[in-house]
Amino acid sequence: MIESGYVIWVIAAMGLVTFALRALPFVAAQWLQNQSAVQRLGQFLPLAIMTLLLAHSVAGAAREDAAGPWPEAIAVTLTMALQWRSRNALLSIAAGTGAYLIMRNFSLL
Amino acid sequence: MTCPNPAAPATDGHRLSVLALSAPVAMGYIPLGAVFGFLFVQAGAAWWLAILASLVVFAGAAQYMMISMVAAGSSIGSIALATLIINLRHVFYGLSLLNKLPPGRLQRWYVIFGLTDETYSVLTTMPATTTHRQMTWIALLNQAWWVLGSAVGAVIGAQAQIGLAGLDFALVALFAVLTVEQWRTRKSAAPFWIALAAYGVACLLAARHALAIAIALSFAAGLLWRGEPVAAGEKAND
Repeated sequence: MIESGYVIWVIAAMGLVTFALRALPFVAAQWLQNQSAVQRLGQFLPLAIMTLLLAHSVAGAAREDAAGPWPEAIAVTLTMALQWRSRNALLSIAAGTGAYLIMRNFSLL
Repeated sequence: MTCPNPAAPATDGHRLSVLALSAPVAMGYIPLGAVFGFLFVQAGAAWWLAILASLVVFAGAAQYMMISMVAAGSSIGSIALATLIINLRHVFYGLSLLNKLPPGRLQRWYVIFGLTDETYSVLTTMPATTTHRQMTWIALLNQAWWVLGSAVGAVIGAQAQIGLAGLDFALVALFAVLTVEQWRTRKSAAPFWIALAAYGVACLLAARHALAIAIALSFAAGLLWRGEPVAAGEKAND
């Protein structure tokens, strides 16, 4: 059992950080829009950081999997290909995770 | 109340179109929220904490990440930092919505609080006739689906013990979906390939700190990058 007091502090901290990030453009719009560095980072960072989080989480999953990294690579490729074609996030996530569950638990690879 | 369109349709029409705009989000948020609630409770958290997290944090990828970090007893500082990195993209969302949000204080701040990837994409693609009141309702409904899903998952998770390895792969799949959606809005795929290369380099340098090093490298690359033409304010500080 995880101690609830600790989790409440975690939730408070995460809520604060998330709200601050979402609110920042509305309180500092002028300053942000006048910074060329911010403009460039805005074009570059969202895709770059999401790619890094994806790479890092795939690497983490592959490390914990005796049959890795093939099930992880196949499931991620399937998820991305489905999302690219269908734009249906639920379908892509369900199919990718389902394929991964089958490969992991029935040792097909 | 804060209706910008004097010829807006009657209230029934309002409710219908708000539900129609929010329905696709419900299809995703209820099951994904349920997976969050389920995994969080299975990791050892009390069921009501899953609901509290979805009420207070309301950020899918960060909440998925929180499960393993909380289970490992990570410090609040490192969880906050991870949240900062995962949700950094939201800073850039607001800039394109500056003049669209409801002017009323409470409504405005609530919509800003609820600017998830999905709410953002609904608000940026909604019909021009959408009123501010409807925008608030869309944000509110979207969070309601997420909280509902979390509650259902938490209740199931508190009762069932399912020994499936790899259900937490849902987070990887969520990152994959968000990567594709970010990629789609860019004219250039360079940030994707540069980030992958940065991660490779970082793994070779110091595998234990690969993510932090790769983020620093990507920041530097982003500052130097001149790939896409930037609209307003480009020449301001050059």
